[in-house]
Parts: sequence; structure tokens; C-alpha cells
Amino acid sequence: MEFDFSYLVEKWPALMGGLWLTIQVSLIAIVASIIVGVLGAAARVLSVPVIDKLVIGYVEFIRNTPLLAQLFFIFYGLPGIGIRLSLFWSGVLSLTVWAGAYQIENIRGGLETVGKGLREAAFSLGLTPWRFFRLVAAPLAIRVSLPAMLNTSISLLKNSSYLQAIGLAELTFVALDRVSMDFRTLEMFAALCVIYLVLVLMLSFAANRIEYRLNAPFRM
Amino acid sequence: MELLIRNLPFILQGLQMTLTLALATLFCSTIIAFTLGTLATLRFKWLRLVVKIYVELFRDIPLIVNIFLVFFVAPLFGLDLSPFVAATVGLSLWGSANGVEIVRGGFNAVPKHQWQSAAALGLKTWEIYAFVTLPQALKAILPPFVGLLTLLVQATSLGALVGVTEFFKVGQIIVERTTTMEGWNPAFIVYAAVLLVYFVICSCLTWFGRWLERRLKRDQRRPQPGAPAMVEAAPQLP
Repeated sequence: MEFDFSYLVEKWPALMGGLWLTIQVSLIAIVASIIVGVLGAAARVLSVPVIDKLVIGYVEFIRNTPLLAQLFFIFYGLPGIGIRLSLFWSGVLSLTVWAGAYQIENIRGGLETVGKGLREAAFSLGLTPWRFFRLVAAPLAIRVSLPAMLNTSISLLKNSSYLQAIGLAELTFVALDRVSMDFRTLEMFAALCVIYLVLVLMLSFAANRIEYRLNAPFRM
Repeated sequence: MELLIRNLPFILQGLQMTLTLALATLFCSTIIAFTLGTLATLRFKWLRLVVKIYVELFRDIPLIVNIFLVFFVAPLFGLDLSPFVAATVGLSLWGSANGVEIVRGGFNAVPKHQWQSAAALGLKTWEIYAFVTLPQALKAILPPFVGLLTLLVQATSLGALVGVTEFFKVGQIIVERTTTMEGWNPAFIVYAAVLLVYFVICSCLTWFGRWLERRLKRDQRRPQPGAPAMVEAAPQLP
């Protein structure tokens, strides 16, 4: 049971291939989940009839069910009613649906910090609703909700490893596949942990930087 | 529907396994979290660093990798773990890492002067810890711990990946069995039912957590000098 570094060097391209797929899936799902979040949060903050209740139900349902079951429902269950998605897109869809629920809450939290008084003040100064949103509400809301949004995005990246359960060849799948073929367990898991750690630490470092810059006006 | 009724004993068995796994994990996580969380509030710098590394490590690695890591790497060191034990250990590593943060937050929420005044009264260190700071910290710790339990119940579904026959795995087996033996695919209905059951269990836990939080907050609204503030219930998602 020696640590064979040359083995890792040899299998590096395969791991990188998996990593690339992980990044692709995560990026698409992160963007899509933020869109879901913005739309859902808007429906709730503007209290659109019926839709806001649906959004509440959606958020509660997703937050109280395991992602793995959601993934299996989408990948194996939906074909039963005629919706057939490829591996890649079922993965993206399930991650989007999952993270979207959390993003709705994150963004709603930010939007609700923008008080009614500000809106009235802006309107009395003659701002149009759109300009109020663009110049007053959005900058304030983003500062509040961005850290939570980035956190959810990091979780999404980690949770892309769930997709190995349906057989998408992302990073975890590739590594486990190699383990079952070559039995170089220690090397593979070391590599896997290091890659995920680097990814997550890089992202959270970037998130900290962004947060720091956004708070610049409030720093003495 | 008839399919689900026919398999009811099997389903209940899976449900029991899920709850056992969740409780076992909660038990281990609580012990580790309180030990490390308390250590982290002590004054030794290097100890805090070690705890911080532990927390960061097991929070940043995906939970799935955690479980597989325990499952595949332990045998290399001569430990042949059953799937159940491997899943418990893997989940506990993650759960305790989140728990440490909660515990630390709880203790930090107890104002310093509580410790100082207790010391001034001549209490021993362990007495201060057990009778002064811990009871106050618990108030802040309990609601987020219920939240953690909700996440743990969801996370137990990952046990299926290493072969624990818990609730999710039971659903999977029923789907496979029916497909091969009866020639039709019940995936849609089975997985919908699985989601629904998890939803009911976790919703109850979530409500309980919110209720607990409100209750504990209500006591606090009375003027109570130096009562701990609530910590945000924010474990990193599974």
C-alpha cells in the first residue's frame, strides 16, 4: 500500500476530463438556478397571486427532500410520463431545481431589506419604478444576498458529485470508476479530495473578495 | 398504489433503517461536535487551528466523497466496515464538522462576563462550564441542531450508494424488481412516493425546529441581562 505518484500522473487526463464535466454542469446549473431564484423571489416580493403560494410550496418541498431522490425522480421517473432527458441535462435540471429553491430564499432575503420608505422616497423624487429598482433596490439587495448566493453556488458545485449516482462521468464518477478498475484507492481519493478542496477554497476565496469589495462603502 | 401496499413491510424496514442511521449519525456528530466545539473555545491557539482544519476539510469535501472515502479507504488499513458503519462514520464526519460551528457559535453567544462573574464567585472551571455557560449555550445550540438533523435525514439517502438498505434504496429495489419481474416501470410513482415520505418527515422536523426557536426566543424577550443571542442556523448544505 504505497503511495504511487506516477500512477496519478498517468491518470491525470481522465481526472481532468471528469473535472471539466463537473465544471460545465455546475456553471450551467448555477446560472440557471440564479435565474430561477430571481424569478421566484420577484414573485414572492411582489406577492403575485397564486404564483407566490406555489413558490412557497416549491421551496419547502425541495428543502425538505433529499437531492438524490429528486435526481432519481427526474432521471428515472420522468420518462414514465413521457419526458426523456439526457444524462447531462437531467443532472443540470435536478441541480437547478435544487439550488433554485435556496436561491429564491437568498434573493428574497436581500430584497426584503430594501424598506418601503426607500421606495416612497424614490418615487416622491420622481424615479420611475425601473430606475428605482436599478439604482436603489438592486445595489442594496445584492450586497445583502450575494454572500448567501455564493455559498449556495459552492454547495451546488460540491453536490454535482451526486450525478455520479446516475452515471454521469463527472469527477467523482471517474475517480470511483478508476478505483474499481485499478484498486489504487488511496491515490485516487487523495487526488479527489485535493481537487474538490482546491475548487471550493478557490471559490470561497473569490466570494470573500467580492463580499469585501461590496462592503467597501461601509468600511471606515 | 397496489404495488406500494404489497411492499409495505419492506418499505417500513427501509424507513426504520433510515431513522436508525440518522439517529446513530446524530449521536456521533453531537459527541464529536461538543468535544471539538468546546476545545475550540479554549485558549490554545494550535488546538483551534486543528479544529478549524477538521471543520474546513469535512465541510468542503462533497458528502458523497466523504462516505466513499470511509467505505473504500478503511479496508486498506485493515478495518472492514459494514456499509451501515461506513455510512454512519462518513455522515458523522460531515455532520460533526457542521455541528462544531454551531456549538462554537453557541458558546461565543454567551457573554464573557458570565464566566467572569462565576469565577469571581469561586466556582471551579468545570463547574462554570457545566452549570453556567453550557445551559445558556444550549439554548442557542438546540434549534440549529434540529436543522442539522433534518439535513442528516436527507443525507442518509446517500447510504444507498454504499449499499445500506435504507428507505431510498428500498424504493430503488422495488423499481428494479418490478421492472424485471413484471415488465413495467413504476419509477415515476415510486420515486414520487419516496420524495413525499421524506418531505413529510423533514417538514415535521423543520416545524419542530422553528417552534423550538420561537419558544426559546420567547423566554428571552423578558429582560434578562446577558442572555445569549441566537446563532444563525446555517450549516453548509449537504
